[in-house]
Amino acid sequence: MRILLILTIIITSGVAAHAADQKTLTVIYDGVTTEVAVASNSLTDLWITTSDLTRATRFVIKPQGVCRDELCFPLPKNRKAEFVLKKGATTWFNLSEFAKLINQPVITDQKNGVWYFGARAAEQNGYLASFAAPNFTLPDLNGKPHSLSDFRGKKVLLVTWASW
Amino acid sequence: MAQDTGGAKDAGSWITAAKPEFTALVDDQQIVTQKYHMVNVPTGVWIDERGRIVRPNEVAFIDDRFKSFTNMDSAPYIDAIRDWAAHGAKSTYALSEDALRARLKPVNDDRLKADAEFALGEYLYKEGKGPDAIPHFKEAQRLDPDNWNYKRQAWALSDADRDYGTNFRKEVQKLNGKPYYEPRKLPEAKKGNDQPD
Repeated sequence: MRILLILTIIITSGVAAHAADQKTLTVIYDGVTTEVAVASNSLTDLWITTSDLTRATRFVIKPQGVCRDELCFPLPKNRKAEFVLKKGATTWFNLSEFAKLINQPVITDQKNGVWYFGARAAEQNGYLASFAAPNFTLPDLNGKPHSLSDFRGKKVLLVTWASW
Repeated sequence: MAQDTGGAKDAGSWITAAKPEFTALVDDQQIVTQKYHMVNVPTGVWIDERGRIVRPNEVAFIDDRFKSFTNMDSAPYIDAIRDWAAHGAKSTYALSEDALRARLKPVNDDRLKADAEFALGEYLYKEGKGPDAIPHFKEAQRLDPDNWNYKRQAWALSDADRDYGTNFRKEVQKLNGKPYYEPRKLPEAKKGNDQPD
């Protein structure tokens, strides 16, 4: 009975220690907010699990690189350890280093544990060559979403204003 | 297209009062500001039936209520819109590809960082952490100093004098004669303060 009690205490302590180690941060990627588990509260690197990588960004690690839909960014062969780290059963991915690789702006708020990943120049400047108006989807006052692409076939006068 | 961090709470009464017969949308994340590289309101973009830009960002007043401040007559712009509505690609005001290329400029790294700083500030503000948002709004303003959307929206979310040491009136005075809006470039240069292409 005493052995069982000691064993229970050891197991409980182990779980508590693991829970204390397990930290979560907020990642905002493509405007979508996701809570992710992190390996540490490093100020310079954001290592997240590969399952959180896909949950937060829809990127997946494939043999050809880090991919989402048709977009694929190969990882430099001699620098793979800077991006992917296997620790026990978990594979970690350095999302902040990946952002540097693909020239993506990253802003952090350490106090609130938030990492914001902004749009890349290639995304924001893509329309300049084709003159295709960037699409967007926004709600009206009733919350009904409207996309610019809904108006294809009509002339559109897009005018911004503000209450301030 | 309301560019309001407060969303329908701030923009709603204006839309309701206007009784619009057109589609009126609320953008509480400055998505359009960022995607179209805008820096002020009102900004207009003309888009044709194929979804292609005909005239990019330009000041788009549709009445003269702010004429004493802007010194800008709305009539030439309204005439231009009517001409384009009637004549489409043959309108004098529909820009050629060369003219579009000359006007459409890529955003630089500072603007991209400013967009991200502002967006993070908006997120914190909406999470009830207004004071924590201010350093991010300030950094966005530093990185993109000509962006009045980022200045005025941030100032409107708190006490501008207390938190930013300035306000709209003081900043306009600092322009010292430089126009608050980039002058329109409509073909009739002699009308108002429009500039030739």
